Amino acid sequence: MTETVKKPVSVKKTVLRLLLYFVVLDVCIITLYPYFAMLCTALKTRTEIFEGISVLPITAVWSNFIDIWSRAPMAKYMLNSVMIAGGSTIIAMLCGIPAAYALARMKFRGQTAFLGFVIVSQMFAPVVLLIGIYQVMQVLHLTNSIWGLIFINAAFNQAFTIWLLRGTFMGISADMEQAATIDGCNRIQSMMKVLLPVAAPGIVTTLIFIFINAWNEYTVALCLIQDDLLKPLTVGINTFNGYNIIEWQYLFAASIFAIIPVVILFMCIEKNLVSGLASGGVKG
Amino acid sequence: MSTKTPAAPAQQQAQAAPRLPNPGSRKLFRAIEPYIWIAPSIILMAIFIVTPIVKVFQLSMNKVTRAGKLKGFNNFENFTSVIKDPAFAVVLKNTILWTIAVVVISTVLGFILALILNNEFKGRKIARAIVVFPWATTLVIQASAWKFIVNTDYGTLNALLKSLGIIDASVNWTPNPTAWFTWEIACGIFVTIPFVCFCVLSGLQSIDASYYEAATVDGAGYFQKLFKITLPLVKSSLTVSTVLNIIYVFNSFPIIWTMTKGDPANRTDTLVTYLYKLAFYNGKQGEASAVSVIGFLILLICASVYMVYTLRKGDEDL
Amino acid sequence: MEVVSWNDIYTVVNTRVSNNAAPDILNIDTFADYVGDDLLRPIKDFVSDETYAKFYPAFIEQSNIDGTIWAIPDLASARAMYYNKDILEASGVDKVPTTWAELKDACQKIKAANPDVYPWGVDMTTDEGQACFAYYSWNNGGDFTDASGNWTLNSAENVEAVEYIVGLVKDGLTNNDPATQTRYDLQELFATGKVAMMIGPNQISNYVAGKENPINFGIASIPANEGKETASVGVMDRFMVFDKDDTDDKVDAIKTFFDFFYEDTRYSEWVIMETFLPATSTGGEIMAAADPDAASWIDIVGSAKFYPTAKAEWADVKQGVINVEQQALLGGNVQELLDTLQSQIAG
Repeated sequence: MTETVKKPVSVKKTVLRLLLYFVVLDVCIITLYPYFAMLCTALKTRTEIFEGISVLPITAVWSNFIDIWSRAPMAKYMLNSVMIAGGSTIIAMLCGIPAAYALARMKFRGQTAFLGFVIVSQMFAPVVLLIGIYQVMQVLHLTNSIWGLIFINAAFNQAFTIWLLRGTFMGISADMEQAATIDGCNRIQSMMKVLLPVAAPGIVTTLIFIFINAWNEYTVALCLIQDDLLKPLTVGINTFNGYNIIEWQYLFAASIFAIIPVVILFMCIEKNLVSGLASGGVKG
Repeated sequence: MSTKTPAAPAQQQAQAAPRLPNPGSRKLFRAIEPYIWIAPSIILMAIFIVTPIVKVFQLSMNKVTRAGKLKGFNNFENFTSVIKDPAFAVVLKNTILWTIAVVVISTVLGFILALILNNEFKGRKIARAIVVFPWATTLVIQASAWKFIVNTDYGTLNALLKSLGIIDASVNWTPNPTAWFTWEIACGIFVTIPFVCFCVLSGLQSIDASYYEAATVDGAGYFQKLFKITLPLVKSSLTVSTVLNIIYVFNSFPIIWTMTKGDPANRTDTLVTYLYKLAFYNGKQGEASAVSVIGFLILLICASVYMVYTLRKGDEDL
Repeated sequence: MEVVSWNDIYTVVNTRVSNNAAPDILNIDTFADYVGDDLLRPIKDFVSDETYAKFYPAFIEQSNIDGTIWAIPDLASARAMYYNKDILEASGVDKVPTTWAELKDACQKIKAANPDVYPWGVDMTTDEGQACFAYYSWNNGGDFTDASGNWTLNSAENVEAVEYIVGLVKDGLTNNDPATQTRYDLQELFATGKVAMMIGPNQISNYVAGKENPINFGIASIPANEGKETASVGVMDRFMVFDKDDTDDKVDAIKTFFDFFYEDTRYSEWVIMETFLPATSTGGEIMAAADPDAASWIDIVGSAKFYPTAKAEWADVKQGVINVEQQALLGGNVQELLDTLQSQIAG
């Protein structure tokens, strides 16, 4: 554990340390293996893939990574995904922050019921509700529309948003906000100026979490979007999983492009993520 | 962690409310104000989650034609015909096995991984970033990659083991439905570990190091410290991640759908893939909705048990 | 939902093939259900006599429910046996198998000569297993229904057919996991020389020939049981029109669209581009004249049998026979399984 680190080095400590590195290395290798396999496959020719002789490509076909941009509207897919994930995040936060604030700072009848409702709403996966969702979207004329996906993703991320932010807000003392209200701020001002800056780590974690969930959403987008130019990346890259052939090399090359932005995001907020989850992880 | 601040007392809330002309309307405003704050969220969920849920309940109670027209209440026939189908028992068993296996194993492994990653060592930042990869990848892609890796005829697992000299001839890694289901569970665990790991890490970070120092002085060993100090203190983050995972894993669709579509003969189906086939392959929307409702009730019971349990616990803490 | 409304018709025609959804399964399964719910209008109202006369009568007949034609085909494809000439030759198979006994014999020779090659490709997956049922049932004189349209799923011919193919799998003469290996996997393996023979759609020719180092392959009729006629499996995609109390203007506009769409030169170019087969005899003639390879396929498609998609129970039957095949792979008794299915479907 942490407290052992700075003590004088003994043989036992050295062995433990080596063991630690060994385990960490193994975990990393296992975790990265699927990505390594994807990358290698993305660099092979179609023939080579199905010969299945070696893991590494005989000669790396980098052109696969260029070809996908002309074989499918990848840039458009990417843009759609950014819009869907970004839009869902904004709407989920706009609706979720006030709700979490009310739950953390006010007492009202039905508070527990609302919290219960939030949890229960999570118990139907979107795929379970596809038929219902499709019908709602038809009424609202949101089938085959990016807005439809934005609202769906925002709604299905409400529970996590509210829950995490409520914990974050409750972990922050209300004293400062009270001081601000005495100085003449109204509730909205005190929340914006005092609470939200302090709660930033939790808010960033929530943002990222929603963004990634929306970025990775597949099933609802598959059912709602028919127009090729409106598809998000997750659905769009299935173009390479085509009618007559599965072009693994293109599928995986495109997949790698889809993973990169998310991984970069994650790496940027890794520190934040842990502390954000910590502050949000209040019971129940 | 767990520093629950009680909600601000009522009189301070009154000060926070905008100054209104008379006490009566101020009181009214105070009473309805919280509802204004939660309104956007409620509206969003009401339209996009509750309406579809109501729709699913309605479909489950009605005779539904394949084209989706409702033909009236049919006396729970959708439910009885679903339950009577011999496949349903298999599917239910699979679902429970799938949920328990994935949640339990990934919780244990995620916890251990978090303990490891909580040590300070060179490259910790990189290791943590790598561990996050499976979480950051779309399940469909992840599952495609796994399906590709274990493929008997051109998979890279065989190619790798052959080039390392461990095996001579290609091994069929998926000789029967059980093997497929095991791979699917492995993939499920693989993508679930990062979430558990980060929830636990967040809990570990908030533990005050002085606890351990005191315990060391008292002569406590590593495992004593683990069970007496660490585990109780990260318990709340563990329960949080476990409950969320039960819901997510129970409802998980892409892994199984990508790898086997529940084949052969429902041996690898879970409730979600089963109902998807019922709805979109067999056109039995009524029965598919009945399966949804059954799955929902199972989860609801589990969650209620959990909530009752933790609420009682919470009372004891106070 | 791939049943095309007038507003979407252009988009759908353009995107359906590039879409992930295979045209085989686009709208076929729900067609009878829409008729059952009175959602469609007879297609004859929307098609000029001149265009209507172009279709193969057998195709049009597939959309006949109670004497009314509800849909017209836009694309078709057909299945035949593909075989790797080099592998057959190297294994001492001199004659391309035409009967089940010859097929089994050829498989055993291939297996003996080259244990790494799957002699015969079989796909019994959720998306395609009904085709497997059709290949063996129809080539054993069996069918899903009898001449008057009653379900005959547990007929002796069908039982024998399923037992034959499951037997080949169990004898190790096929790919090892037909319940999860799709025909896409199989055609890749065929194209790399790891599957010696398989039944597949006409598109495989283009696909295999388009690869680097293409294999040396031939096409033949699907093997039938001794003394039975060989039958190909045809698949088609179709247009249908929803009943929306359309005005005469709109009806005329749809008619104009169909006349435009099925205009012979344009239509056959489009079909060739999509590597399908035409659903009109006039389009077929143009294609056959342009390409001798296509000619034999057009013969096949003209005489192919089709799934009984006009029957309301078809979606259940389709999933049912797939389930029977998969259960049989796991050791179930074919006769019992088909008896159960028959009683579920026919009541």
